[in-house]
Amino acid sequence: MNPVIIERLGAVIGGIVVGIVAFYALYKDWNATGVENQVFKLMLVLLGIGAILALLAGLNVIGFTPPAKGV
Amino acid sequence: MSVATLGHDVHGDADQLYLEVRELRLQGFLLFLISDCVLFASFIFAYLYLRNSGQGWPPPGIHRLDVAFAAWNSVVLFGSGATMHYALENYKHGKWMRYMGFLLATIVLGVGFLGGQAYEYNHLIFGEHVTWGGSGIFGASFFTLTGMHGFHVFVGVCYLTVLVLQSAAGVYTRGKYFGITAGTLYWHFVDVIWVVLFSIFYLI
Repeated sequence: MNPVIIERLGAVIGGIVVGIVAFYALYKDWNATGVENQVFKLMLVLLGIGAILALLAGLNVIGFTPPAKGV
Repeated sequence: MSVATLGHDVHGDADQLYLEVRELRLQGFLLFLISDCVLFASFIFAYLYLRNSGQGWPPPGIHRLDVAFAAWNSVVLFGSGATMHYALENYKHGKWMRYMGFLLATIVLGVGFLGGQAYEYNHLIFGEHVTWGGSGIFGASFFTLTGMHGFHVFVGVCYLTVLVLQSAAGVYTRGKYFGITAGTLYWHFVDVIWVVLFSIFYLI
C-alpha cells in the first residue's frame, strides 16, 4: 500500500479518536471549577481543534501533498 | 489544649499550608507557561511577517511541505495529550495502574513524535536540501520553531519519565500530586503549540 495512504488513514482514524476523547473529556470537566481546570478546558478545546485539523488534512481537505511521494 | 486537639490543629495547619503553597506553585507554573507562550508567539509572528512581506511562499526552489506525514505525526502528539489527561484523571480517582499505563503511553507517543520529527528533518535536509542556514527565511523559521518545539517535547518526555520514577517511589499521594498536574499542564501546552505550528507550516 502507498505510504501516503497509510499516513492519511492514520491521521483520519487518529483524528477521530483524539477529537472524540478530547471533547468527551471537555464535556465531563465542563462544570469543574478552579484555575487549573479552566486552563485544562481551554487546552482540551484547542486539542480537539488540532485533532479536527489533522482529520481534515488526512482527508485531503486542507494542506498539500505533492504528486510524488515526499514526506 | 489536649494532645488530640493539638494534633488536629497541627495537621490542619499543615494542610492549609500545603494548599497555599500549591496555589503559589500553580500560579508560578502558569506564569512560566505564559512566558513560554510569549517566546513562541514572538517567533511565530516573526515568521508570519517575513512570510507575507516577500515574494511568494514558499520561496523559489523550495517545495511546499507535505501534509500527510505531518498530519499523522500530529495525531501521535495530540493522542499523547489525551493519554496524559486521562493519566491525571485516573490518578485523581485512585486508579494507580491505569494512571501508570496512560503515563507510559504518553511517554511512548512523545518519543514517537520526536522520531517522526527526526524522520522529517532527515528527509528535508538530505532529500530536499532544506537547511537551517542555507534555505533563507523558510529554513531558518521552520527549523527554529519546530526545533524549539521538539526540544520542549524532549524536556516533557524527561519530566514524565521523572514522574514515573517518583510515582513508583511513592512521592505523590491522593491529596498531594501537584507534580502530576504540572506535567499535564505542560504536556497540553506542548500539544497546543503544535496545533499552531502545524497550521502555519503545513496548512496555510
